[in-house]
This record gives sequence, C-alpha cells and structure tokens, in this order.
Amino acid sequence: MAADAAAAGPRRWRCEEEEQQPHRLSAAAAADDRFDGLPDPLLLLIFNRIGDVKALGRCALVSRRFRALVPLVDSVLVRVDCVIPDDPASSGSPSSSAPSFPTATASARARGVFSQIARMLIGGIVKPIQALGQILSHAGSASASLSSFRRSASSSLSSSSASAPPGDVSHHSPSEVLRSFKELRSLRIELPAGELGMDDGVLLKWKADFGSTLGSCVILGAASASATKDGTTAAPPPAAADCAESDDSGSIPESFYTNGGLKLRVLWTISSLIAASARHYLLQPIIADHALLESLDLTDADGQGVLTMDKWQLQELRVRPVSASGDSHRTLMPALSMRLWYAPHIELPGGTVLNGATLVAIKPSEEAMMDAVGNATAGSAGGSWVSDAFEEPYRTAVGVLLKRRMYSLEMNSF
Amino acid sequence: MATREAGKKMIMLKSPDGMEFEVEEAVAMESQTIRKMIEDDCADTAILIPNINSKILSRVIEYCNKHVPTTGATGAAASDTVAPAALAEDLKIWDAEFIKVNRATRFNLIQAASYLNIKGLLDLTSQTTIDTISDNSLEEIRSFLSTKNDYLPEEEQTIRRENQWAFQ
Repeated sequence: MAADAAAAGPRRWRCEEEEQQPHRLSAAAAADDRFDGLPDPLLLLIFNRIGDVKALGRCALVSRRFRALVPLVDSVLVRVDCVIPDDPASSGSPSSSAPSFPTATASARARGVFSQIARMLIGGIVKPIQALGQILSHAGSASASLSSFRRSASSSLSSSSASAPPGDVSHHSPSEVLRSFKELRSLRIELPAGELGMDDGVLLKWKADFGSTLGSCVILGAASASATKDGTTAAPPPAAADCAESDDSGSIPESFYTNGGLKLRVLWTISSLIAASARHYLLQPIIADHALLESLDLTDADGQGVLTMDKWQLQELRVRPVSASGDSHRTLMPALSMRLWYAPHIELPGGTVLNGATLVAIKPSEEAMMDAVGNATAGSAGGSWVSDAFEEPYRTAVGVLLKRRMYSLEMNSF
Repeated sequence: MATREAGKKMIMLKSPDGMEFEVEEAVAMESQTIRKMIEDDCADTAILIPNINSKILSRVIEYCNKHVPTTGATGAAASDTVAPAALAEDLKIWDAEFIKVNRATRFNLIQAASYLNIKGLLDLTSQTTIDTISDNSLEEIRSFLSTKNDYLPEEEQTIRRENQWAFQ
C-alpha cells in the first residue's frame, strides 16, 4: 500500500518554482540529449559493459573522446573468430615426452577424440599466412599432439599481422588486439569451439583453474547424453553398455573394466588435461602484457572447457614462471591425484539423461595429500570446487555422482 | 511524519531543485549509496541527492518501489499468490515500459543510477546504449548518440587501419 502511494509520485512539493519546472527541465533535456554530454567516468562505465573487443575497436573511431576512453576499459571479451588447421608438417614425429600412463592404446583412440586443432584468429576469411595468433596447435593423436604444441610458440598469442599482404584480410592475435588496453582487469577469451571433437551424443565438460600450474580440474563426461529417455539419439556409443548393469551400491560394474569403458574415461581425462594445459601455456604473453589483470577466463563457444585464473593465481604465475612439459608448448602437469565417480544412468532436471556418467576431480598430489589430513571421509573429499564446477543441469549430475562410491587414481607428472 | 505505517521507517530524499520525496527506508536502500549513508548514520531526517533533478529522482524512486524485495504484510501476501517466475516476468514487462523514455531522460537515469549505485537500474538504462554501440555501424553510432566525428579524414583512415581487426 505504501509502495503504491510512493510510486504515484512526490509526496510533498515544497518548490516555489513549480510552475517553471517543466520549462527548465525541457531546456536541460535538450542539452543532455547528447551522449557526449555524459561525463568521462559514465562513458567509461558504459564502455566497460560492452565487453566485445571488436565493438570497442570500432567505438574508438566514433570520435577523439571515445578513442581516448576506450583504452581505459577494464573488462573485455575476445571472441576468437576461427581456428584453422595447423601446418600439416607439424604433425610429424611423436614426442619423446609422451605421458607415462596407458597411452600406448589410448593414442589410437585419441585420433577420433581430438579434432584438428590449430590457430586462433581474429579476422574474417581464413587464409594460412604467417604471423597468426595460435593458441593450440595439434596433430593426430594424443602423443603426437604433445610434439605439435612445440611449434606453436613462435607465433603464439603475441604475434603481429604487420606482414599481411596488402589487400588481403589480415589476421590478428588476441595479444595484438588487446595491446592498447592498459587497464585490463577482467578478460575472457572465447574459442569458437572446444578442442576435443567428440562423437555425437557424447558429453564432455571440463573446468580447470591454474596458477603457475594446475590448481584443480573437474571433468564431467557421459557416454551418451540424450534429451529424453525415448528421444531420438544417435546410435548408442559402445560404452552405453555400461548402463545395462545398473547397480545401486554406487560401484562401477565389472564390465566397465573389460568393455573399454574405463579406457575411454582415462582418455577423456588425459585429453581434457592436455587441452587445459595447452590453453594455459599460451596465455602467458597476455598475462605478461597486462599487469593489472585480476581475472582471466579462456572458454569456448561449445561450453566444453573453462580455464580460469583468479587474482592470486595470476600473481603466482608472475612470481613463479610456467614450466613447460618437456619441449612441448604445454604447461607441465604436476603429479596428480584423481578421484573418479561413476553412475550408469542419471536423469537431470529438464529431461536430459546421462548414460555412463563419470565425474573426475583432479588436484596436484601434494595438495590432495594435505586436504586428506582434514577430510578423512570420502563424502567431504569432493568439496565445493567440485560440486560448484558446472552450471545446472550438470551441477545436479555432479551432486548425484558425488554420493556414489569414489575411486582414487594417481597420475605421474606429464 | 517520520513513520507513515507501523514498522516502516520513512526517509526523506531531497532533490537540488527543492523537492522532497518521502520513501520507505527499504525502498531508499535499493540504492547502495543511500544504504551506506543510512548504515553510517548520516541520514538523520533528510538526504540531499545532488545533481539529480526531481523529475529524474521521482522516476528512480518509482523504479526502486517496484524492485524492492517484497517483505512485510502486504508483500508476503503478494509473493504467496504469485509464482517467482511469474513475478520476474511481470518485472521484465514493467521494466520494458519504464525504459520507454526519450534519450535525454535515459542518459539522466544512467547518471542517477550510477551515482546512487542501483545496479538493476544501471543495467536497464545502459543496455540500449550498449546495444547501439555493439550492433551498429560507425555512422549509425554517431547518429544515434548525436556524437560528432571530430577526426580529420586521414586521421580516421590511420586509426581504421590500426583497428582493422574490429571491422572484419
């Protein structure tokens, strides 16, 4: 009731000039009609909300004042336009720094899991020219990809397009595009697609945070994710056999170990970690260029992988530089402690059904050991970094999985 | 005068053109700026809101009234009968009506929302301008924002080359 009364307008008008009021206001309005009439801080406040770096780049051409303000923007989103296959020559010899887990067989499967990953570009038409921004470079298989990451450094994110032939559409690296933004505090880079090419119906999402190296990583996968139980899904992947053996104890069915189910999960995990560590490695020049950065996310339009770095992690990286994995262009993963949960069948709010759902939570072994001192029970071992990793409806899936039996794995540094 | 309704503390807001608006404290506290003043005990009887004329201030109050979380006797009844989703939908429609104002008023509202630190109002009022800048050509941006191009032609060409990536 009181709300209605107040909404109706001013309660008491103690203004002697009431009659002249509309007049004066309209006169003021005419002058205020121009965006230019707004003070700098307010213009900047609006520019900070634009996000998209291309819109900001165009904005600078509107007027001198705009151009002076745009470099002061502190929050930017860079949408990478295209990723083109890397130079085929790079898909050469497998790296000597192959990871020390079952890749002998996994690498064969990886051919299908990895897509052709390559150069990250801002600009229109794809033409392989030198001086391209290149965030991920990738060859055929998991082990070969390690070697191809090596090549990407020369041009990496800091390259310039100055040498682009005249008249050609030039390409620009995120680093170059961001160079003028000296006040950058919050940056998000979005790849046009996730790096890991998955078969139809297969769900794979990862979220990783990094400082100088991996802080934690959560991976959610499902052999098939379908809209409804009787919805038309693609032919069930081989691993869908998992769900035949439903079992309420939360244990992994025996067949999981023999039908390739486990192998596939290991492959998802390794693939996700490689993608994350390659993304991380190539962020270094951007971090070096923008000392004020407090939040850095590298995502993809598919919603497959999210890499985040917060203020303290960025600080850590500046103090303690990244170690590369062997001679590849990928951040070295420390020895990892992993926990795995499995559920043959999960129904999510909104009707999505996950078959062969798997959750993997990963921390460096050192940290995981310290955590274990505080958390003796399996139940609390998850923690909110796991349960909050994904948005709904996947958050629900994680919640369901965390209630099931937990399996532990260790992985060597790679 | 201080309390219009039992249990509801009222706050007086004054605009620089000499008008006074009596509003519930909860409504006024939609503004983080005013909230801070109240919490710091700087808001004894009346708060002078500088730089926001009465016309704009009354619209800001209208917004805050609509967006204040419904609590208390009347509010509780409302939220019991209306589902949260429907309530949010209603607010969206109301917001769309609210922002049907001329450009000058919108810019004034942006300034007011910024000074008073009302996030929802700032989002609402600045979105049109953000969309204008994001979705239009240079000429359109200049015309929509009534901004004059003060570049020399050759200067503009140079910057256009530098920012070529933004036009692809």
